[in-house]
Amino acid sequence: MTVKRITFLQELLAFIGLEERLHLSWISSAEAQKFVQVVTDFTEKIRELGPNPLAGYSGIIKPPELEPASGFGKDQVAQ
Amino acid sequence: MNDRVKRWLEDGTVDLFLGYKMIMGHPLPHCFVKEKIEEVNDLIIGPSRYSLEKIATHIAAVKPDIKIGMLARDCNQRALNVLYIWNQLNPENIRTVNVNCCPSSLKEHGDCSYLEHEAAGSYKKQVGIDNNLQPENIEGYEQSQRLSRWMYEFQKCIKCYGCRNICPVCFCQECSLEHGELVGTGALPPEVPIFHLVRAVHMAGRCIDCGLCEDACPVDIPLRLLYRKVNEIVSDGFDYKTGTDDSQSPFNILGDAVTLEPKPIQPAKTAN
Repeated sequence: MTVKRITFLQELLAFIGLEERLHLSWISSAEAQKFVQVVTDFTEKIRELGPNPLAGYSGIIKPPELEPASGFGKDQVAQ
Repeated sequence: MNDRVKRWLEDGTVDLFLGYKMIMGHPLPHCFVKEKIEEVNDLIIGPSRYSLEKIATHIAAVKPDIKIGMLARDCNQRALNVLYIWNQLNPENIRTVNVNCCPSSLKEHGDCSYLEHEAAGSYKKQVGIDNNLQPENIEGYEQSQRLSRWMYEFQKCIKCYGCRNICPVCFCQECSLEHGELVGTGALPPEVPIFHLVRAVHMAGRCIDCGLCEDACPVDIPLRLLYRKVNEIVSDGFDYKTGTDDSQSPFNILGDAVTLEPKPIQPAKTAN
């Protein structure tokens, strides 16, 4: 069940634009070394990806840096 | 059609019939009953639509044995299928009158209020998401663009719950979207993208792509597109076609043994 949900969520988050920031692993309490390995690997990966773009989100995310649609800004200035 | 409905009501095939009636110039959902059988003459079909099966679910929740008849397009049929699977309605108590629907290779003419969304404006195309796109178009965007475009759309949300309220397959007694600990309350826009993602996750194995959510949305968030992707994941990953499959959803707790394996950690694709 968990693996289904997480697999689904990984795909959904990728679609939204938050790829590869979710990981699932089964580690028994007897597998300390595996735990260390997984956490280290994943920490390393997150470090490479950089900070979460939604961290410190305060209500508004700036639209991508694109030119305003043709006529959109100009008309307003002209009026 | 009206004669058939009359006959059904008279001989007790159905106790009530859900259809549309023109009220004050609006085609509104209406419940036709035997006691007012003359009203059946006003039963209309047209492009307007509503989740009649949701009304049926509410009625069946109070009176489980009542026999309900309703008008049904293809989307209503798919929603009914899902509701049968999730034990919200008993197929033995539902009779449908099938009416014309979306055009396809089989049907050239269609009566539907929502075949195609109106064209997006140029600003929305630049920074947001055109509602007429398909999931694969979105995947063509860069990852950071995808996030900011979706966030642009989600931020417009006024938390009216219209998408949930119209949704024929939203039947939970308790809704996660109203749960203060899951989704923060009291602020606008709602906690994005959590609000919309929670809903999207709950649509897995349920959404039948009727488009009523997007139709109802006052701020034009491309919800149908988001849930189409949800359906795509469910159909590609779990081989489940929501609405037409008559088996349990893969997200049912009493499912089969799982053969899926967790994904290994891949090296990061992009270094920001």
